[in-house]
Amino acid sequence: MPAKHRLDPALLDVVPTPLDAVVAALTRSGVAALDASQELLAHYSDTGDAPTQRAVDTLIEHAADALRAITDSLADLSSELQTAHPQDVSVQAITEHG
Amino acid sequence: MGKNLIHGDHVSCSRVGGTMRRESARLRRHAQWLDEALGNLPLDPDTDANGELSAVIAASGQALRATAKDLDQAGAVLQRYATELAESHELGRRAELGVATAGLLLDRTRVIEPWGPASAQEAGQRRTKVPEVQARVDLATAHVGRSRGRLLREVLRLTESFSAHSRDAHSARRALPPPR
Repeated sequence: MPAKHRLDPALLDVVPTPLDAVVAALTRSGVAALDASQELLAHYSDTGDAPTQRAVDTLIEHAADALRAITDSLADLSSELQTAHPQDVSVQAITEHG
Repeated sequence: MGKNLIHGDHVSCSRVGGTMRRESARLRRHAQWLDEALGNLPLDPDTDANGELSAVIAASGQALRATAKDLDQAGAVLQRYATELAESHELGRRAELGVATAGLLLDRTRVIEPWGPASAQEAGQRRTKVPEVQARVDLATAHVGRSRGRLLREVLRLTESFSAHSRDAHSARRALPPPR
C-alpha cells in the first residue's frame, strides 16, 4: 500500500465520532481504489492477437482511470467533511493525494 | 512446419483476470464499510448539512460498488478467455502434431504439401491426408476465433462502462455542496 494515504496512528486513541468513521472509510476506500488502479497497470496479459490485445489494454486503462477518478472524488469528500465539520472530526485523516 | 498455430499466453490472461476479481472483492468490502459508516451518521435537522453531503458520499459509494462489479465481470471474462485459450493451445498442439505425422507443412493456417522429391505413392498418400489434417487446424483456429470474438464484445462493453464510471466520479466532485 502506498504511504500517500494513511491515518495518523498517534491520533487513533481518540474516541472516534460517527463522522470520524465516515472520514476513515472514505480515506481507506480511496486508498483501496488507488491501489487497485496501480495493481491493474502492473500486470500484462498476452491475448495472442492484435485487436483483442488493444481492446484489453484499453479496458485496463479505462478501469484504472475510473478508479483514480473515484480516489480523487473520495479524497475531496473526506476533505470536505473535515473542513465543514472540524468540531465533529477527532481523527484527522492525512491525505497527501493531489 | 510453422510453430505456434495458436498465439497468446493463457497464464498471463488468467493472472490479470484474477487480479481484477481480487481487487473487486476488496473494493466491495470498502464500499460496504463506507455504507455502514454513513448509516451511523446523525443528520442535522436544522441545516440538513450532513444530509446533503451524505447523499454525495452515498453516490460515491455506489460508484465504487458499480466499478467493483464491472471489474469482477472483466476479471471473469479474462479468466474464461484464459481457459478457452488453453483449450485452443491444446487443439493447436494436436493439429500441429497431425501435420507433422502426415509429413505435411503449415503455411500460417493452411496445410500444404512439402516441396522436394517424393515418389508418386508417397505424394499421393500425403495428399489424401490434407483434408483431415486441415480440419484439425480449422477446429483449433475456429475455437480461438470464437473465444476472441466473445472477449472483444465483452471488453468493449465494459470499457464503455468504466468510462461512464469515470464521468460519474468527476460529476460527483462537481456536485459537492459549497463550503459553509
